[in-house]
Amino acid sequence: MSDVAAAAGRDRPEIRLRGLRKHFGERTALDDVSLAIAGAQIVGVVGPDGAGKTTLLRAIAGLLEIEAEEASVLGFDLRGDVTDLKSRLGYVPQSFSLYRELTVEENLRVIGRLNRLDESAFDERARPLLERTGLAPFTDRQAGALSGGMKQKLAIAAALLPRPSLLVLDEPTAGVDVLARDEIWSILQERKSEVLIAISTSYLEEVEACDRLVYLDGGRVVATGTPAELRARVPLELYRAWGDDPRAIARAARALPYVDGARATGSYARIEVRCDRTPGAERVLDDLARLRDARVALAEQTPIDTESTLLALARGDHLPAGSRGP
Amino acid sequence: MTADAANGDGDVIIRAEGLTRKFGDFTAVDDLTLRVERASIFAFLGANGSGKSTTIRMLIGLLTPTAGTIEVDGIDVIRNPRRVRDHIGYMGQKVSLYQGLSLRENVEFYAGLYGLDEKALAERWGPLAERLDLESSENEHPEDLPAGIRQRAGLALSTLHRPRVLFLDEPTAGVDVNNRALFWELIQEESDAGVTVFVTTHFLEEADYCDRVCFIDAGRLTADATPEELRRRFSPGYRVHVEAVNGAAARPGDARAERALSDLAERLRARGLRVERRTHAIDVAAESLDPEWLRAVSEVQLAHEGLRVSVEQPHMTDVFREIARGRAR
Repeated sequence: MSDVAAAAGRDRPEIRLRGLRKHFGERTALDDVSLAIAGAQIVGVVGPDGAGKTTLLRAIAGLLEIEAEEASVLGFDLRGDVTDLKSRLGYVPQSFSLYRELTVEENLRVIGRLNRLDESAFDERARPLLERTGLAPFTDRQAGALSGGMKQKLAIAAALLPRPSLLVLDEPTAGVDVLARDEIWSILQERKSEVLIAISTSYLEEVEACDRLVYLDGGRVVATGTPAELRARVPLELYRAWGDDPRAIARAARALPYVDGARATGSYARIEVRCDRTPGAERVLDDLARLRDARVALAEQTPIDTESTLLALARGDHLPAGSRGP
Repeated sequence: MTADAANGDGDVIIRAEGLTRKFGDFTAVDDLTLRVERASIFAFLGANGSGKSTTIRMLIGLLTPTAGTIEVDGIDVIRNPRRVRDHIGYMGQKVSLYQGLSLRENVEFYAGLYGLDEKALAERWGPLAERLDLESSENEHPEDLPAGIRQRAGLALSTLHRPRVLFLDEPTAGVDVNNRALFWELIQEESDAGVTVFVTTHFLEEADYCDRVCFIDAGRLTADATPEELRRRFSPGYRVHVEAVNGAAARPGDARAERALSDLAERLRARGLRVERRTHAIDVAAESLDPEWLRAVSEVQLAHEGLRVSVEQPHMTDVFREIARGRAR
C-alpha cells in the first residue's frame, strides 16, 4: 500500500477519464471515452454487444494499458504504476476465476493472505461475508461444485474481503437464478454508500436499479445519466394495446402512418410513436381502439420504460443531454 | 393458440413422459413429463444447472435418458435418435458456425448436410437472408461478426431445411436488448408459419413472448402453464387505474367524467370485479384481463376527454420469484 493512499486513509470514490483510448491491434475498442463519476454509487455500464463494456471495466480496474489525456481512478493514474490501485479495488470478471478445486473457505483464505490479513482480521471480515452471502453452510465445499449463483456470490465475497473502495463487476448475474440475483443486488445496495460500484448487466430490471448509467456504443460514451434522465431524453411516446391477439394488433398498428414500431408480447402490443410525428395521445388511442383486422380491448399510453430507452439509444434515437424531454 | 389444448390430447408434437437422466448418483432430470402443442412457442425456463440443457439434449436425440419415453413429430426419439434430426432444427448456446469459413460457406456446408441441392438452397436462402438481414454479412467470417448477427445466422442455419420443430437453447444469451427484440419477432414469425418453437432463456420477461411456460428446478418441473395462468397463481394480479386527469369540476366536461367514472365503477362491480372509487379515479383489481370488461373501460375512455387509463401488469420476474420462493420454503 502506498504511503500516499495510506495517509489519505480513505480513497476518493471517483473516476475521471478524458480522451481515453484502447486499441487491440487495428481494432479500436474504446474511443475518446470521457467520464466523470464522483461519490460512492452504483454505475451501470450498458450498451450493445461489442460496445466496449468489458474493455471499459477492465481499463477502470487497471488491467489494461491505455492512452488518455486524463485517467484517474480513486485518485490513482491509470497511465502509471497501478499496483496500489489494484490493492484498493475488487474485480469480478465475466467468467468464474477463483480456484475451482479449493473450498469456499480456502479461496477466501488465499485472498486474505494476498492482502496480508492476519488470522483474526481474516475471521472478522470473512464471517459476516459468508453469512451475508448465504455461503456459511458451504465453507467446505469445492468452489467448482457450487451452483452458478453461489459461485458468483463467492466471487463477490472474495472481491469484498479486502474492503475495496471500488468494486468492478462484469455481468455478475448472467445466467444466475432470480433469487440469487436478488441477493447479489441487495448486497450491492448495502455496500453502495461506502464503495463505488461499476457493473455491467443485460437484465433490464438491473439496469433500472443503477444510480447512474454509462451507455456505450462502438467504443464511445453515447449517453450518461440516471435511468430517469436517460428515459426523459427518449423522443418517443409508448402505447400498449391489449387484446386477444397481440401479434395481429402489432401488425395492424404498424400500418398507421405515424407508428414507428409495434411489437407483440403475450398480452399486448407495444407501440412506439415518434414525438415529432404524433397526432396526440387522444387520437392515437382512438385509432388503436378502432384498428381494422385486429380487436383491441383497451389502449393506453404508458411511460417510456428502460427497454424503450435502450432500444432508442441503440438506434441513435436519443436527445442530447440538456435538451428538454418530450 | 389456446392454452387448454395442450392439457388434453390436442395436436401434440413433442411428448415426453417420465423423462429421467442420472449421471452417477446425481439426478439431473427427474421424472419430467412435457407436452408441446404444434406451432406453439414453448418456453423452457430454469437457472444454470437446473437440468434444462440435459432435457433438450435428450429431446433431440443426443443423450439417452435413464428412463422415460420421448416422441417428437411422431418419431420415437430413443429408438430413432438419428431420424428425428431431419424434423428438427437446433441452435445451441454456442452457435455452431465454423470459424475460418465465411457465412456463405457455412450455409453451403449445412445445406450439404441437410441434402439440399443448389436450386433448393437458392430458393430457401435468398428470402431467409433478406428477412434476417444477413445479406451484407455473407462474405464475413463468423468470428468477425457481432453477437446479434451471429445469433441470427445460427437461427438461419437451424431452419435451412424447414424443420417442423425448432429447439433454441438460450438464443438470446449474450445478445443485447435490440437484437433480443428482433430475435423474438423472428421466432413469432416461425410460429405463425406453423413451426413449433421450443426455447430456453434466462431473461424471464421473455416468457411473455411464449404460448406456454415450463419452469424446471433441480431436474423437476415446478410450473407448466400459460404466462397468464402463472400470473393468476403467482402474483397479486392486475390493477387498472382510470383517472380524470384534470380533477373534478375544473371544466364543465369534468363533472361528466366524474359521473362516467362512477358509472364505470358500478358496471365493473356488477361483473364481480373489485373496484375502489377514489378522488377523481377508480382502481380495479383483477386476477386476469378479460377483453369483455376492458372494452367497457375503453368505451368510457374514448367517450370522455381527460380520462387516463393505466394498466399495471405483474412482472414475469416477480412471478418467477414467487415460484422459486415456493420451492425454497
